[in-house]
Amino acid sequence: MSDPSTLRRTGLPLPITIVGAALVVLICLFPFMWMAVSSIKTLPELYTVPPIWWPETPTLGNYYKVLFESNIPRYFLNSVIISVGSTFLALILAIFASYGFARFDFRGKPLLQSFVLIGQLLPTAAIIVPLFITLRVLGLVNTYWGLILVYMIITLPLSVWMLTSYFKAIPVELEEAAIIDGSSRLGILFRITLPLSTPGIVAVVVYAFVTTWNEFVFALCFATDSSVKTLPIGLAEFSTEFNTDWGAVMAASVVMTLPIALLFFSMQRLFVGGLTAGATKG
Amino acid sequence: MDRNSTGLVFVLPALIVLAMLIAYPVAYTGLLSVTDRQGAFVGLTNFKAVLSARATPQAFWNTIWFVGGSIVFQVLLGTATAILLNQSFFGRGIVRSITLIPWVVPGIVAATTWAWMFHTEFGIINYMMTGSGIIPEPIGWLTNGNTVMPVLIAINVWKLFPFVAIMVLAGLQSIPNDLYEAARVDGANFWQEVRFIMIPQVRSVIVAVTLLLVIWGLNSITIIYAITRGGPANRTLITPIQIFRLAFESTQFNQAAALSVIFFAVALVIVIIYIRALASAPGEAK
Repeated sequence: MSDPSTLRRTGLPLPITIVGAALVVLICLFPFMWMAVSSIKTLPELYTVPPIWWPETPTLGNYYKVLFESNIPRYFLNSVIISVGSTFLALILAIFASYGFARFDFRGKPLLQSFVLIGQLLPTAAIIVPLFITLRVLGLVNTYWGLILVYMIITLPLSVWMLTSYFKAIPVELEEAAIIDGSSRLGILFRITLPLSTPGIVAVVVYAFVTTWNEFVFALCFATDSSVKTLPIGLAEFSTEFNTDWGAVMAASVVMTLPIALLFFSMQRLFVGGLTAGATKG
Repeated sequence: MDRNSTGLVFVLPALIVLAMLIAYPVAYTGLLSVTDRQGAFVGLTNFKAVLSARATPQAFWNTIWFVGGSIVFQVLLGTATAILLNQSFFGRGIVRSITLIPWVVPGIVAATTWAWMFHTEFGIINYMMTGSGIIPEPIGWLTNGNTVMPVLIAINVWKLFPFVAIMVLAGLQSIPNDLYEAARVDGANFWQEVRFIMIPQVRSVIVAVTLLLVIWGLNSITIIYAITRGGPANRTLITPIQIFRLAFESTQFNQAAALSVIFFAVALVIVIIYIRALASAPGEAK
């Protein structure tokens, strides 16, 4: 396609790339544009045929309803507490476990590793009943700690898996040099291995926060009291509470989406960036 | 011997938490599946009851359809998007970020927004499609038994193809430049680069991602539950939702446990076959 003798980067023709990129952007963004537009429409404008693209009298009424006349703000706080708590816990546990798996040999390691992975495989619906009974025995139903712990099921296995491969990719010679210099295992982990695996840590944090923020089924079953209910449940509840008040539902959706989008965009550079390539290829 | 125990110490806290949250409930599920409400041993009665229910085979095939259909399009679309986003063009960074949004957004938000867009009377999709003449009259996308599953698959693909794209893109970025340079010296064009460099180099990424997609697919409840709850007429009933319904709507905990055991076994077999097939494959791939 391009002249091979110049060794210039070959690629798709630019027009195709541009059109493709525009299409991808449109597909990814359109539902959110429609969500945002719907959230500032009045009821009569929502229920018209044909639908109108831009409201003549944009209103914040739906947001007012969501922020001042519903439980959404409380659910928002609950979601923040539970997501931050379980992300932090998963990260700590995963760092140690991954380091153990990546750097040591011990009896039963393959078995234990697959045990961790199988956790990810469990049909969540399948263990709800026994989990509920377990939580009740521990007095953790309808508490923050209950959901934070339960979320280890969905965040920990993948976190361990991701971090193990990151740790493995770090040349063991770096650590051996530190051992010769008299560093302890923990010192090595925190001063050498962790800083080198920043993209992995960021990936785990973003992954754990996003999955717990978005989680639906466990929250539906283990947090039935409005003092601990999370946003996804609030949103589902909202649509029944107001029946089909789509304007309010869309406004609540915007409120729920914003923080996660902000987090993601601020972390995106670290999360997606080619830091891994730099750290592993050297 | 020293290294032996040190490693175990590192791993132990996570293992204890997982054992408490996974091993115990799994064992308890097994126990529930062979007992009745009073806890008396009843053998395979629950399994027989579940297997003879009409919804069970239907849910099984729905699950296969939903998961299989989703994965094929997620991987194809995701890989294509990754290759596209690996090109250099103005604004690439922002496009990459935007691509991730569907994956990041809560499933319940995606579900409600798409449900609103697919609304029969006031939905934007029916409006656009009738307006442009693609369909003669509005379709009840989510109430028509023939369209509801494809629509849910499409929503699920939209939700997860960005994940495939970003993982494959990371793989593409770690391909050493020498490979491209060597290919260019040989006069390779773009499609040859895709076929002989990119795809083989990211093969392992795609394999791992597909395994994750299988597992997530088998676990996915949110989108279907939020939009249709398995309806209309069980057309979108997948096994996880059937288990949930058995347990929490019919309060048949023991039958739900039996179905969970069957589901878990089938899922395990699928994953093992997949891993086995891959363990033998790399020889043929370049």
